[in-house]
Amino acid sequence: MSEARTPRTPRAIDKYSNKSLQKVERRGTVRRAQAGNLEEYLAFVLGEDAYAVHISHIAEILKPLPITEVPRARRDVVGVMSVRGRLVTVLDLKRRFSIAEAKTGAPSESKTRILLVDTGEELMGVLVDEVLQVYRLAEDEIEPSSALGGDQPSHITGVGRPHAGPLLVLLDLRPVIRG
Amino acid sequence: MGDRDIDKAKDEFFSEAQEIVDGLSRDLLALDEVIKTGGSDAELVNDVFRAVHTLKGLSGLFGAAMMSGLSHELEDLLDDLRLGRIELTPVVLDLLFRAVELYGKILSAAKGDGPEPADEVKTLLVSLGQVAQNKAGGGGSVVAQYELDPGLLGVLTEYEEHRLRTNLQAGLSLFKLRVAFQLATIDSALDELKAKTRPHGEIITYLPTGEGTDPDAVELEILVATRTPLATLRAQITGFNITIDEVRRRDAGPQEAYQPAGPSIIPTKGGQEVSDFFPPPATFDALPQQARTSVPPPPTAFQSGAPPPIRERDQTARMENAREPGPRELSLKSVSQTVRVDIRKLDSLMNIVGELAIVRSMLARMGERVRARPELRDFASDMERVHRAFDRHLMQMQNGILEVRMVPLGQVFDKLARIVRQLSREADKQVNFVITGAETEIDKLIVEELSDPLMHMIRNAIDHGIEDRDGRMRVGKPIVGTIALNAFQKGNHVVIEVEDDGAGMDPRRIVEIAVRRGMVVADEAQSLTAKEILALVFTPGFSTRDEATSLSGRGVGMDIVKTNIAKLGGVVDITSELGIGTKVTIVLPITLAIISVLFVEVRDQIFSVPLASVEEAIVFDESAVRLVEGREVMTQRGATLPIARLARMFRMEERPRKNHRSYVVIGTVGERRVGFVVDKLIGQQDIVVKALGKSLTDVRGFAGATELGDQRVGLVLDVASLIDEVLASEQQRLAERGLQ
Repeated sequence: MSEARTPRTPRAIDKYSNKSLQKVERRGTVRRAQAGNLEEYLAFVLGEDAYAVHISHIAEILKPLPITEVPRARRDVVGVMSVRGRLVTVLDLKRRFSIAEAKTGAPSESKTRILLVDTGEELMGVLVDEVLQVYRLAEDEIEPSSALGGDQPSHITGVGRPHAGPLLVLLDLRPVIRG
Repeated sequence: MGDRDIDKAKDEFFSEAQEIVDGLSRDLLALDEVIKTGGSDAELVNDVFRAVHTLKGLSGLFGAAMMSGLSHELEDLLDDLRLGRIELTPVVLDLLFRAVELYGKILSAAKGDGPEPADEVKTLLVSLGQVAQNKAGGGGSVVAQYELDPGLLGVLTEYEEHRLRTNLQAGLSLFKLRVAFQLATIDSALDELKAKTRPHGEIITYLPTGEGTDPDAVELEILVATRTPLATLRAQITGFNITIDEVRRRDAGPQEAYQPAGPSIIPTKGGQEVSDFFPPPATFDALPQQARTSVPPPPTAFQSGAPPPIRERDQTARMENAREPGPRELSLKSVSQTVRVDIRKLDSLMNIVGELAIVRSMLARMGERVRARPELRDFASDMERVHRAFDRHLMQMQNGILEVRMVPLGQVFDKLARIVRQLSREADKQVNFVITGAETEIDKLIVEELSDPLMHMIRNAIDHGIEDRDGRMRVGKPIVGTIALNAFQKGNHVVIEVEDDGAGMDPRRIVEIAVRRGMVVADEAQSLTAKEILALVFTPGFSTRDEATSLSGRGVGMDIVKTNIAKLGGVVDITSELGIGTKVTIVLPITLAIISVLFVEVRDQIFSVPLASVEEAIVFDESAVRLVEGREVMTQRGATLPIARLARMFRMEERPRKNHRSYVVIGTVGERRVGFVVDKLIGQQDIVVKALGKSLTDVRGFAGATELGDQRVGLVLDVASLIDEVLASEQQRLAERGLQ
């Protein structure tokens, strides 16, 4: 079902991460666009819904590592962990955005991943329930965030509607985790 | 040891200066390009200005008077350029290029690789002075035209410089008085001299010469601007062991040798630009002696590896080249053999060492497993050997990296010496600044952060500590106050003291102010100990002067000093005796990179406590805890010790614990102690501390985190802030009760 074309790896992805990302990309359907620029988004699950962030913001996808709780930290801070000697603060977006757990219960441990995001100021980890795949979205597959109705918070940048895939809430994580 | 440290500091100075000079040269070349195309670039001029400014600061630090004087004048010129008071003509640019060349020579000379280009610097200074005179609106650096020692110019305060310039511009003559005073009578004698001099003119400055052979005398050099002729001065200022000389304008030198400038030195090529710039031949009088008398250079001067910037129409540059053989003089080689390294690179090396330490402990564990197998005994002993070697080299590497980070405290102390000089003169107080232990080494990062707090402490000492002259006389202290800056190493710490012999701090005044500012309740203030009263000056918003003075009132208080020092993992302590003086002591870790910690466990989570702030750890006896005023305390060695349960402070889940022993880790910062209750003591270790991310900066109580070796991370406690928290909440409670 997939085309054998190796996706171009965005520059922001560091050398450690290629493998995991490529694996994710190969699993996914790579759809050729009819026209316009294709933007690559990494889709993941939080609670019931699918979200996606621009792939250039993701440095790496990690399987869960031991995380040390930091007492007195904000509620959405899971703790700190060490990634090859670098200290990384890990956030739980579900707590941050008050997203309810999936009706099927807590996510399975084996699917949980940590996305490493470089905010420019520090490297941060974001806990997600499951990583889906990389979607290449053409311009006509992205709707403004107002499509979700009313005022949407600024970290929601739009809605992705891949032709063969779920509705994706597009996020800009950097302002979220910096704050 | 001392010599080596000085060398180290000097090397750093050389490499830094060299780097700036190189950058300067690049900027000038870029400017040259811009000018050739008829444009201008304000940003580049600013860059050049900043580079020269930095050089001035650097050279001031290292007492490189010649460089300092040159930079000083250049800075004026560049400032004029920046502000558009003079135009950036090719001639001006040539002067700048010559300055770069001279910087190179001065640096070489300082390293012992050549003679000091004293004459050339003088020549350049004159040329710079002329440029300044030609600027729109007049004024400018007339100072440079006088035969003043650049070293002296470098130490004038801004005000003195201003007065000097004003007087010279007004056409007054400048005289240098040298007087040797007996220390015993210096005060009255100086007053007498001042009284005798004043009717004639203005005393610009007086500075000790540092010369003179009599240990009981001090020789001062006094600059006086006056219209009175020399002979009259000599006749009227008498009764001292004094010599009076006129400071001549450089262009008014011995007239006999002077030959009017002939057409031979006015170039025919490019003459247009020169005459645009140097107005009518009459002002050529001002050209220095060497330039006037030298012959046009032999053509070889330009084939000797001279850098491109030297232009033919630059008379002075040509003459200089002609005066000395070219090849030795112009070298493009850098004088420095050091490499400047970004400290972050060292940090990342240190991180790798930390990783290797983890590998080492994994090796050790593997070794243990292998040893348990009898059939592998040979292999086990081999492995043991490898492990030991690895351990040793790792240690060496760690020390090596740490050593690279170390710099002598003298780097910041010298800067402070200049500040003391300036501030004490501005405050009109005489201060003897005594430095000991400048060779003490400390982490570069710490040094960087130290200068502001130390500067503030010294400001306080001059402004609030040392009394004015009358005040000192009244209490029979020597007129000259003393500020001592001492540094020494004590174990893994560096102690820095700033001590003055001033008025000391008046506890009653401190309390009065603290009460007025609402920092303590009046009743409570009565019961404060002397130590607690002194500690009040560290409270934010405390300042003993109601009006900000130009010295200390810059919105920085001792609370900021304390906070800044705490950020470096250090503590500040203050002792003061009314009428005797004040001593502020800073205790800092030698390095920020590696610290010894005690690992403890609280509710299955491992924390580390920096040993520097651990007094001791004892078994916790629940039954010894008393509730005093709603606070848990216990008695330890006859003193009351407040108790804080870490699990409770960190709101960690209470779990039923099977009758386990607990421990109390007694944390101390300065005189303050708190016992922290933990579940388990694990052991001591040296660790590499990593800072928590920016997103966690508002979480109080943690200094960072460290790797535990099994992929896990342990938090490092910030004992100072935890103690603050425990004791502050106590004070708050007391204060609240006081208000009720």
